[in-house]
Parts: sequence; structure tokens; C-alpha cells
Amino acid sequence: MSLFPAVGRKDFRLRVSWFALQAFLWFGVFMHLVPFYIMMVTSITPADEAMSMPPKLWPSHPTLAAWNLVFRISDVAKSVLSQPLSRYFLNSLIMTFGTMFLSIPVTSLAAYASSKLIKGRVAKPLFIFFVGTLMLPGIVSLIPSFLLTRNFPFPLPVAPNIPGTDIPFPTLRIWNTYWAVILPAGFSAGNFLLFKGYFDSIPDSIINAARVDGGSEFNIFRRIILPMSIPVYAVVAYFEFGGAWESYLWPLVVIQDSKIAPLTLAIRRISDAFVATGTTNPQSALGAFAQMADLIAQGLSWNGLMVLGLLQALPVFIFFIIAREYLLKGVKIQGLK
Amino acid sequence: MTSVRLENVVKYYYPALGSAETKPTLGLDHVTLEIQDGETVSIVGPSGCGKSTLLKVIAGLEFPEEGRVFFNNVEVTHVSPQERGVGMVFQDYALYPGKQGSQNMSYFFEVHRRTEEEKQQRLRETAELMGIGFEVLMEREVDTLSGGEKQRVGIARCIVRDPTVFLMDEPISNLDAKLRERTRTEIKRLLKKFQITTIYVTHDQQEAIFMGDRIAVMRAGRIEQFGTFDDLYYSPANLFVASLIGTPPISILPAEVSGNTLQIAGTLSLTLPPTLAEKLPQGRLRLGLRPEAWSVQPEAGQGLTLPVTRIERLFTERAAFVYGQIAANTISALIPLDFPEVKQVSLQPDLERAYFFAAEGETVLHTPGIPELF
Repeated sequence: MSLFPAVGRKDFRLRVSWFALQAFLWFGVFMHLVPFYIMMVTSITPADEAMSMPPKLWPSHPTLAAWNLVFRISDVAKSVLSQPLSRYFLNSLIMTFGTMFLSIPVTSLAAYASSKLIKGRVAKPLFIFFVGTLMLPGIVSLIPSFLLTRNFPFPLPVAPNIPGTDIPFPTLRIWNTYWAVILPAGFSAGNFLLFKGYFDSIPDSIINAARVDGGSEFNIFRRIILPMSIPVYAVVAYFEFGGAWESYLWPLVVIQDSKIAPLTLAIRRISDAFVATGTTNPQSALGAFAQMADLIAQGLSWNGLMVLGLLQALPVFIFFIIAREYLLKGVKIQGLK
Repeated sequence: MTSVRLENVVKYYYPALGSAETKPTLGLDHVTLEIQDGETVSIVGPSGCGKSTLLKVIAGLEFPEEGRVFFNNVEVTHVSPQERGVGMVFQDYALYPGKQGSQNMSYFFEVHRRTEEEKQQRLRETAELMGIGFEVLMEREVDTLSGGEKQRVGIARCIVRDPTVFLMDEPISNLDAKLRERTRTEIKRLLKKFQITTIYVTHDQQEAIFMGDRIAVMRAGRIEQFGTFDDLYYSPANLFVASLIGTPPISILPAEVSGNTLQIAGTLSLTLPPTLAEKLPQGRLRLGLRPEAWSVQPEAGQGLTLPVTRIERLFTERAAFVYGQIAANTISALIPLDFPEVKQVSLQPDLERAYFFAAEGETVLHTPGIPELF
């Protein structure tokens, strides 16, 4: 509204451009909401109707069958998913919160030290050391990282022998455990920059005042800095939550056991099973794969996947609602988009 | 009660992250300073002269590369700021944001695990000391306070814990003129009451004069002169100190001595008094005259003729200053308040109150010294 003050709104050209802008923005909103609408509607559509062409904007017989079915997924699709859905959900929660509880303290304390405690000649090399990982695309370090989870600290398929003996070096294997997902995310260079940017904006004099008052460095951080940094923590926590919850590629690489697989892997597995059977029409699906036929007979097709998709998206949405107030503050402070 | 002594303190500064400069710069250059118990010392100098660094070294927020710091003859050079027990007031207030005034003042008691009763009692006492209306400030969140109110809380936070030494880093430079005056008086009142050793850093010489029992003038990491106002005013150690202290500043004119005549700016010739004639070298030098060392001549043609650029009338002081330029040097002289607006004025310098400097550099040849009847 402030773009078009009431004074000028009577002007014809202004009025037209105002409507044009409104239309453009509403179109953007619409384009964002359509996929979400399709997800919701498909989730309450019966299985065979969900696969019909052309797709329907509203099901002829809305049903919650898919929702019921999804929660019994390990019973109806044992060959695809061996664990109950709640297990995958729990795994995702463990990995997400594990990552957050490790990464946020580590990253923020490192940023605080780099911003306020380390001065002089070491400050610059240290800063470059911290943010250096940003210069490499994540995908480049995928294989070495994977090898590291197998034979820490050697990024090699097999640990080398101790020189002069036949005994290999002892290695730490975190591959195929929760730690394989949590530990590598323990420090985040991007979040480090966010934190450092914020801590840099805190005047040194506040910290000096607290030092003169007798506060130890950690006490100053906990009692003075932390309370005034809640917005930036909220921003980072939100990014971290979203990133960890939705991560797919890294868990795919390091998690084999479906007992500890996160929800993203489970959903992908079902989705792959569907795609493999060619479910663009009911006939081909029914003919192709007996187990999938079973599933569809039970009433689960794209509708079930949409339910899973919604369940996957829900926590991030809830987290956003919780952190909303701080996020908006943080966005203002950080000038993020 | 504490005395503070600095011996040959040297502090280097390393260039900031990302700057092209790689060599460390000298922040403090062999500073030696002795501050007596209960004394207020002002440190004055242009910005970047190292005065804040000096304060940080005394507080323990920075450690010197060389030299030693003593509190009461006990060496504290490498004692952490947490253990020095100094109180500090900052230019930007440095209050803990998001907390009430009283919470700001409580932090010291919390980290030192003092009892709740002691804390409450000290808060009450401090509120009383700080005067009317302070209790209201203590209950407000510090982010909602105005600049002057913030600094009052800042000062209260500093005195509530009974510091050994009071350190003030330009505490009132961020306030507007009227508030600055009031806060200045208030700080002076508190300092008188407490008799705590105080080091007051400022870039404003008037503030330094008002606050300090003694004044240290700093430039480029060095202390140029340390003494009372009279020492600095009447016996400056060099041209820098002479031109820094005093408002309006001292007027400097080129002059030449030949025999016992002094020729000023190539126009006015005066006979030197015998004491001066003995002391001053022959040849070119520079003459320094404070505004009160000029006397206005009733008739034109006597003394130096000063084309007037402006007359500044200070009604509260019942006096006025006339400003003008002679040979590209700004001259200021004290005149009566009711002096008429004129185009030019004839001024006669009083050589008894004159300062003499070498023609080049900042060396002092002669200063009038503190007048006996004062």
C-alpha cells in the first residue's frame, strides 16, 4: 500500500499499474499454492482415481483411506518398507535434533570466538580456515566424506597398514549410524558467517564492560550475548532444522540399515517403487508388479505418497510458526530475503 | 584507595582483518604516568592518539607488549580485567541490552556471588547517590532510555560496585550540549564525593580542564605533558600543548630578534625586556600570544593592525573575542564586551605574557610561567 499512497490513487495510470502489480503478486501466490493444493487433494483421493488422466481438481469420492493406510505402511508394503512409519519419523527427528544440538553451539561459539575473542595475527588465517569449506561445492567432498565415515581419519576405502607391520591403523567407523549424519554437520560455514555477522555488530564495549564487571568469558557469552542474539539463533535453528530434516543425499550415502533410515529415504523408496512399476495408468501398474498391485488394491497410490509428502513438510511448517516472530526480527537484522 | 603507575608501557596495534596494512602500528610509545591516590586525571588529545588504548591497558582489556602497570605498587600488568576491580564508563554507554537498569547494575553482584541483601542495599545506596528520578530509570529497560539516561545508568553501574579505580572513556561526548554540561557537573559532584582515583579520557580540552586535577596531553601514543592546568597553560612543554590548551587558541606569529629589538610579522618593532633579550637567540623565531596578552589601543597606528574577520561576544562571561588574520596566522584577542563593531583594530602585545617558540619544529624558547598573583 505504501507503494501507492492514497493521494495518487485516483490517477488512472497509477490505478492501472496498481492493479497490474496486484495481479502479478497474486499470480505468484497462486503458483506457489497450486502444488500444495494438488498434494492435499490427492491425499484424499481414492487410489485408482489418483492415477486417472487427466487429473481431477476435486475427487469424486473424498476419502481418508490413504491417511489410514500410510500409518500401517509396514503392514501393507513390507517388501518396500520394513519399518513402521513412526520409526522413520523418529529417525528423522533424532538426526535433525542431533544435528541442531551439536551444530548450533559449536558453530555459534566458533563464530563468537572468531568475532570477539581472537585478535591479532591469527585472526585472519583462522577465519579463512572456518569459511574455506564454502569455497567447495558440497558434492565435491561427497566421496571423501563418505570414505571418512568408513575409516576415520583416513579418506580411503581401506585403512593403510601401520608401517612395518601387517596390522592396519585402527579407525573409527561411524558409517551406517546416526552419527554419520550428525557429526559431519557439526560445523556449518554458512551459519558461521551468519553468526559472525551478527556478533560483529555487537559493540566490543559491551563485552569490555562485562569483563570489567568481573564476568568470565563464558559467563559473558551466556548472560549478556546469548539473550541479545536470540533472533540470529532462531534464523540459524530454522535453516538448520529445514536442512537436516529434508536432507536426502547424504543419508542415502551413509545409511544402509532401514532401521535408522530417515523419512526422506523411506518416501523415496516408495516413490521409486511406484515409478519402477510405471503407474501412469492402473492397468500397467496392476500388471507389472504383484506387490505394488497389492498396495494399490489396499488403496495406496500417489495419494499415499502425497500423505507422506505432507507429513514430511509438516514439521518444517510447525517450526516456522514457532520461530516466526524471531525469524522476522532476524530477517530484519540480517537483511536476509 | 588506589594509586596507578605506568612504567614505559608500549602497545602495538595489529592491522584489522582484511586491511592492506600489514605492519603493526605503535599505539602507546613508552608511556610513563603516575596517578596519585584519589586524584582525577584527564587525558586529552586528538583522536587516535592512544588515549583510549591507555585506558584499556589500565583496565586490563589490553595487555602491553612492554612496560609495567602498578596499582598501589602491586604489579598488575598481566592481571585480567575481571580481577582488577576497576569500574569503567564508556562513550557508547555499553549497557547490557534487553535488561533493566537495575539488572545492568546487578551483574557484578551476580558474577561475584554476593548475597541478595548486599546487592539490594548497594542498589538502594547508589540510587540515592545518583539523585532524583534514578529509581525510575532502574526499572526501565535500558533500550528505552535516552542517551543521557543511559549514561546515568552506565555511571551508576560503575559506582555500584565500589571500584578501585574509575575509568571514563569519553563518557559525555555522545550527549547533546546541554545534557553534556549537566552530566559533566554530575560526574564532577560524584567524583568529589567518592574521592576515587579517576582517569578521564576526552578529546575536549575544556572537559579535561573541568574534570581533571591534573591533565595529561597525549599525541601519537606519547604523553607530551602531564601537569595541572596552570602548568600546561603557562609553561607548555611544546608548541603542540600550547596550541591545544586554551580557547580561543594561542595566536602564533613569525618574529625576528636582532639585538634587543623584536620585530613581529615584519611590521611592528618592540624593545625586548632585558630578561627576555638575554634569553632569546638572535634571528627568526615564533611568538605565541594568548588572547588576554593583547591590549586594544585607542588610536589606530599603534601596535599591530588587525583586520577584523569577526567579533564573538560572550554575554555570560561579559567579554568578547576579536578574530582576524595577520600574515595567514589567525589572531584572537580578548576585548571588552561593549567594543564597537569595527573593520580593524590596533593591538599591542604584552611581552611579559608572551611565549616564544623556535622558527621550525615545536621547541619552546620561553614561556611566561604561572603568574604569581592569580
